[in-house]
Formats: sequence, structure tokens, C-alpha cells
Amino acid sequence: MICCVEVRLTIPDNEARTALSTLRRLGVSVERLERADLYRFDVEKDAEKDLVATLRGFETVYNPNKHALRVREEERPGAGEVWVDEIDGAEVRSGGAVRIGGRALPGVRSMERFTAWKLMCATGAAVPERVVLEATETLLCNPAFQKATRK
Amino acid sequence: MSALVGVLIFPGTNSEEETLRACRAAGLDAQLVHWNADLDEVRGYAAYVLPGGFAYEDRVRAGAIAAHDRLMTAVREGEAAGKPVLGICNGAQILLESGLAPGLDGAATTQAGFTRNAPLGKYRSTHVYVKLSVPPQRCTITASLPANAVLPAWASHGEGRLAARPDVLARLRSEGHVAFVYCDARGNVGPEAVPNGSALGAAALVNARGNVLAIMPHPERDAWTYMHHDEERERARGDAAAMLGASGGIALFRGLANALSATAAR
Repeated sequence: MICCVEVRLTIPDNEARTALSTLRRLGVSVERLERADLYRFDVEKDAEKDLVATLRGFETVYNPNKHALRVREEERPGAGEVWVDEIDGAEVRSGGAVRIGGRALPGVRSMERFTAWKLMCATGAAVPERVVLEATETLLCNPAFQKATRK
Repeated sequence: MSALVGVLIFPGTNSEEETLRACRAAGLDAQLVHWNADLDEVRGYAAYVLPGGFAYEDRVRAGAIAAHDRLMTAVREGEAAGKPVLGICNGAQILLESGLAPGLDGAATTQAGFTRNAPLGKYRSTHVYVKLSVPPQRCTITASLPANAVLPAWASHGEGRLAARPDVLARLRSEGHVAFVYCDARGNVGPEAVPNGSALGAAALVNARGNVLAIMPHPERDAWTYMHHDEERERARGDAAAMLGASGGIALFRGLANALSATAAR
């Protein structure tokens, strides 16, 4: 089964602010921008609960002082979102196990890692897809070695 | 002193001082230029050097934010006017993100990138050699180097692996955009000399016009013998003058100086 885990900063996200100001300077019509680390796992049946508990124990993934971690219901980008990952992948395996930061993830068959950007209007509503595409092509994705997944 | 060279500083740049020293040691009248400098003043420089570091903390991607910095307006205009532009490490990443290199078909769009080292994506700091792999005259900055010149440098990056679509890589090779490849001290090339899994073994790219050079390893960190990493430094031990003598990395900065002198003479 697929398990999609999102880790988001709860403190101000300087990277998102820098990206937002750059996009606006480049003429992209976006008023708010959020960023999250996204892990999409293919896990064995019944392993999801243990996986989430394991991730909560990895300080390199999740620090409770500054992060929020949740399991997303959606396995694909929603409105106003673009997920960016590297074409040649970020999965690290050793001894047959998928690993993050050198630590094994029991029950995980495969893992994809994305940076998820959510582009919004001032009201918090998602921007139109053409704006997501413009932001993706202008700044958020380098197609030489990254791929972007939109709604 | 030759023509005025701007060594550009973005927030997070950290190699500007040693780059400035190497420029000056090569006879260039170089100055540091901060990101908030007056753009008209920046336009007055005869050449630009983008040093290493972590411009804008590598936010979004290495070089991605700086590629859109207002300072780059002057660099783009300068490139179009034929001014030499040298980017080192993070400076090279900025040039690729900005599209100034490789600039296939003259397009200023991102066509390649330096991304996470292979195979494990880890940062590496290691002494390397790079070999000129295009005719010297192909690039303004290398025009005064001998053919197949081998230069020492320090690779110091987590994202130095050239990556691009297969068709782009084929064109980079066939159209002479791979200016330097990694090699051993004798100039032998091969996968074992490549510290980061870079496609084509590439250490540096040159643009179509030949006036932009984006090089990942740091020649300015092997510009004096005391920075060097083989028997040359060992021979210099106890001899201050020899230890402070020029090492091979300075050649690239002399190349820039020669390019500007040649331009001034025309």
C-alpha cells in the first residue's frame, strides 16, 4: 500500500519566503507559498503505523520542536501544488532495506522523496494551474535533473 | 594591473577573498562587488567572476535564487557583449541555473545542472586535476593555455555532478561545451578520476560564444604551492619562497588576465 508522509516546518520557513519573493519579482502571480518534505512509501500491509512511529523517531526527518508530521490522504498533488523530485531518485538501499539517514525503514518496499510546494492566492485559495506551471518552469524545478508532478 | 574585474558576492558566498587574491596575483584589477551594488556601476566591469559558497543558502536548489538576482542582469548583459564570465563551484551552479552556460542555441534557459554527487549524494572535499578538453581558443579564458593543459584544483561540493537530458549531454559533447574533464595528475581521464559521478566526466562547461566558463572544482584553492597536494609541496617544505610560489590553479586567472589584455589591445 502507499503511505504519503508530509513533514512541514511550524516555524517560519525562510526557504519558502525566499522562493516566494523571487517568484513575485519574476512576475509570477502568487501571494503565499508553502513548502514541505514529502515521502511516498510503498509499505507492506499493516506496516504503516509502525513506519510513522519510526519516522517520528528520526531527528533528521522530524524534529518535534519545529516540524509537524502528518499522513496525507492524497497520494498525488492537490490544487495549487507541485511536487519536485530528482529524476534519478533519492532512495538509498543497503542490505535490502530502504534507508533514510542510514537508518532502515522496516516494511518499506520503496520510497520516493519530494519537495512539495503549494502556491496560493492572498485568500489561501490555490492559484490557477497555469500559475503553478509558470512557477515550476521559472524557478521550482530544473528539468535537467528534476521532475515536477502537478495535479 | 589590467581591466577591472568584478568578483560578485551574493548572500552566502564564501570564497570571495581567495578568489580575489588569485585574480590580483594574476595581475587583474579585481574588486569585490556586493549584491546590493549600483547596477550601473556593476555594468562597468570588464569581466565577472562568481566565486564559490552557498548563495542564498542554496535555497530551492544550489544557485537557483542567485541566478535570478538583480546582479545577474549586469552579468547577462556583459555576456551578451562578449565580456568574460568565470563561475567557480557555486558560481558555476549559478551560471547553469541562469542558462548562461551551456547556452545551447543561444537560449538563456536552464539546460543542465550540477546536482547531488553520485553515488550517495555526499559532500566531497578532495584534491583533483582537470584537463582542458577543448581547443584552447574555444574559450576566451583558456585561450592562452596550452592544448590539453592539466590544472590542479580542489573539488569541494555536495552538488557537482553534471546532469542533463541525454540529448543535451550528446550536444554538450559534440558541440564542444565540456571545457574541462577530471583527470589524474598525468592527464589520464577515466571514471576513477571523477570525484562526483559527473556526466561526461565534466568538470567545467563553456558556453557557445566561448566567453562563459563554469567550473566546479576550485582553482583558486590550488593557486599557491602551500595549497597543493602532491610532491611539489613536499619539495617546497622549509623554503618559504617556494611554498608561496604560484601553483597550477593560478593559470586560469592568468588566462582571464590574458583574455582581457587581448581585448584591450584590439
